[in-house]
Amino acid sequence: MSSESGVHCVVVTPEKTELDSRCDSLILPMYDGELGVLPGRAPMVGRLGFGLLKLKTSGKEETWYVDGGFVQVTRESVYVLTDRLLRPNQIDRASAEADLQKALEVKPLSAEAYAARERSLAAARAKIRVAK
Amino acid sequence: MANIRQLDKRRKSVRNIRKITRTMELIATARFKKAMDRAAAATDYTRLITKIVQDLAKSGTEVTHPLLQPHDSIKAIDMLVLTANRGLCGGYNGSIVRAALQRRAEIKEQADAGTTSVSGKRGISAFRFANVPIEKSYTEFEDQPSFEAVAKIADELILRYVSGQIDRVDVAYTKFVSISKQLPVVETLLPFGGIEISQTETANTSKLRDDYEFLPSAEGILEEVVPASFRARVFKCFLDAAVSEQIARMVAMKSATENAGDLIKSLSRTFNRARQSKITQEIMEIIGGVEALG
Repeated sequence: MSSESGVHCVVVTPEKTELDSRCDSLILPMYDGELGVLPGRAPMVGRLGFGLLKLKTSGKEETWYVDGGFVQVTRESVYVLTDRLLRPNQIDRASAEADLQKALEVKPLSAEAYAARERSLAAARAKIRVAK
Repeated sequence: MANIRQLDKRRKSVRNIRKITRTMELIATARFKKAMDRAAAATDYTRLITKIVQDLAKSGTEVTHPLLQPHDSIKAIDMLVLTANRGLCGGYNGSIVRAALQRRAEIKEQADAGTTSVSGKRGISAFRFANVPIEKSYTEFEDQPSFEAVAKIADELILRYVSGQIDRVDVAYTKFVSISKQLPVVETLLPFGGIEISQTETANTSKLRDDYEFLPSAEGILEEVVPASFRARVFKCFLDAAVSEQIARMVAMKSATENAGDLIKSLSRTFNRARQSKITQEIMEIIGGVEALG
């Protein structure tokens, strides 16, 4: 991390750089739970799950929904690479539930199809959780 | 003389066409700028993902993944062709279709199986005309392709490749080299060669060695990074095609406008000459009549 106070956080999707800001600390939705990052965190590369990215700036908290991807923490910045970044209020609960139903009905016949099904289940469940 | 009226009519219609082509040129210019900005914004992702892969490689992880592995025997080759939905863009669609059909003929010699998917109305009709069966056709990609839609196509290809249904995937699209140069190319998407590891280049850039902590593990991350990188690569093809289409249309419409201007000039000249000769002839007739009376 840089000598400036706070954490520099950059969120990039394949379409564009969605977010480039500085905050006091942030919480990442990892594949197996949440992970907090404070200034000066050791370098890390990790896999993200589906869930909320929280940026804390002077007591205020800003939340975003993250659709899987990766995070790279370097000395300078935190880079979040994800397919999609949404505001929690942009998530439609009804369509997420429909996705969940559709994923549940799929009968996976191969290991790859099973993994794909698990992914869509996790994504749909995370969306429903966030939309509440 | 009817000829004069005809000339005037023609000149008017050419003028109208010039108005249309000029407007189309302006629209293409605006769209090109937008598409270009999108393409530029998309490079950040590719850059960061390449960096992650390099860091993984530096940490001693062997970069292997089913998508990177070529299959032993090539029996089925899928092909994806990216064309435009609309014409009036010079040789853009024609050259892509030509390149794609040529590659397809080569493919058929190597492998029987495999399907062809086409994006863009122009390509679809050209392939139908050439009697090539189209597996899937997409018409929803305009000047701003969305990643979500592209990712679906990419995921499908990944699944087919990993499960062994296909052994190679080719893509035919117009590669954007620079504003003045776009090339119709056919490239191999899978086995995926998009991850370059240049260890020598970045080895000594900083004295601080970054010992990365990997969650869950370097292999676990690699498993996800490679498909993500592949999706970004396919998306890049779509972006390139979109930018190139707008440039092609811009250039075609610019020359059409110029050509219409030339045509108007030469038509005006003929028109004026015809009008003048008509006037002269009428005067001659009047003088002749006066002389005959006198």
